[in-house]
Amino acid sequence: MTTAAEKLDLYKEHKKEYAATKKPTMVEIKPAVYLGIEGRGGPDGEAFSEAIGALYGMAFTIKMTRKFAGKGDYAVCKLEALWPEIANMEKEKWPWELLIRTPEFIEAKDLEQAAAVLTKRGKGTGVERVRLRRLEEGVCVQALHVGAYDEEPRTIAQMQELSAQRGYEPAGAHHEIYLNDPRRIAPERLKTILRQPVKKRR
Amino acid sequence: MKTATLNDYKKRIGCVLEHIEQNLDAPMRLEKLAAVACFSPYHFHRIFRGMVGESVKEYVRRLRLERAAAQLSRGAVPVIDVALEAGYDSHAAFTRSFKAAFGIAPSACRGLWQIESSSGVHYGGAAGRSFRSRRQGGKMKVEIKQMEPMRVACLRHVGPYDEVGETWDRLLTQMGKEGYLGGNPAMLGICHDDPETTPAEKIRYDACLTVDEGFMGLGPIGVQTVAGGSYAVMTHKGPYNRLGESYSRLMGQWLPRSGRELRDAPAFEIYLNDPQTTQPGDLLTDICAPLQELRRGEEEK
Repeated sequence: MTTAAEKLDLYKEHKKEYAATKKPTMVEIKPAVYLGIEGRGGPDGEAFSEAIGALYGMAFTIKMTRKFAGKGDYAVCKLEALWPEIANMEKEKWPWELLIRTPEFIEAKDLEQAAAVLTKRGKGTGVERVRLRRLEEGVCVQALHVGAYDEEPRTIAQMQELSAQRGYEPAGAHHEIYLNDPRRIAPERLKTILRQPVKKRR
Repeated sequence: MKTATLNDYKKRIGCVLEHIEQNLDAPMRLEKLAAVACFSPYHFHRIFRGMVGESVKEYVRRLRLERAAAQLSRGAVPVIDVALEAGYDSHAAFTRSFKAAFGIAPSACRGLWQIESSSGVHYGGAAGRSFRSRRQGGKMKVEIKQMEPMRVACLRHVGPYDEVGETWDRLLTQMGKEGYLGGNPAMLGICHDDPETTPAEKIRYDACLTVDEGFMGLGPIGVQTVAGGSYAVMTHKGPYNRLGESYSRLMGQWLPRSGRELRDAPAFEIYLNDPQTTQPGDLLTDICAPLQELRRGEEEK
């Protein structure tokens, strides 16, 4: 548990949900709250990086506003993304939703206030599209993918194999948690948690 | 500007070493020593440490101890006199330092011909002077970058370097609630003093965040412009408390053989990732040392 003086770290608080290994495992993910922003296009495109900017701008502004007001401190979590089905789709049309996990005490009015102040500073591009999002993923198959994003299919195949063996099928968007920054780390060393919500096959 | 060679650097630091040896009992002033070597006071201590392998303070202390050892081994001078001359107020403090340096008590070295110090550099040994500027310890990647001037919001920290986190906290909280963390601003640290030379409580450090023209200051947070121009940039990977080692390599090994001179402006650090969510071993920091501009015809070879 955290004391008042300690900083809240949601990843540490929910350690089991983030303790992914290269070998896929089944995990139970509790409901969680995120800041989210939706868009379309390739991850190397302008829409994607603009959305990242808006999301981080909001995440840090909300955190610092609360901290300044003495409402407690917490670590801003890492970037995550939901990728609904993108098979047979051109990259430019890929739909995604970028997420940053956020404490449950964050409210819609925190977002409104942050969007207003960012807009006042001329840093408001896309911030009005950031909203609160609650995910209830439940049973998932999860693995740590080490390597380039392009090589994810190798890990995903192993995840599918495990869930099929256990009698599960996909139920919901493919979820990725980016543990490091692709601008700073060589592709072969990138670590990404891959998470696929599943349900029992009937 | 004439390009400076490795030998020039060695000569200049050599002059400082000589000056220190000849004035071993005088107080050592940074400005004076920097002037002897013709280096900017901003960088002198780091170049010295990088090339000599110890700070000026450590160097002076060791030389005084070695002189004391020489006096003791030669004859019948009372230990307390030697201790006072070496800058110690008590027999006990002198004995402690002496033992740490040579492994034996001061009284035990009477009549000994040679005493080995662990550093391998010895008092009065100008002929055998060795520099630490030889390349060592893995590859070192230094890039010369042209940087634009940066307008930054800054908050001054005076005190131990390992407490700058509190100043950062205040800067980021204040600026964050006002929306200045949008647009992914860069985070810079300007170190006006060397944490290894200046007394901890006097170290001046500016925590800085890049801002646009619209920012005019906010309470205790001021505005300044970090000069543009050529910089030698080296990425330090690892915890912040080991940045000193990278400064030493940049200033002591790279700089003397770069043919370049540092400009009379402070070096700064750019923090590339978030210490709150990054393991200390994975932290990345760009160390940026300002270089003098080359004249035409002296461009990079």
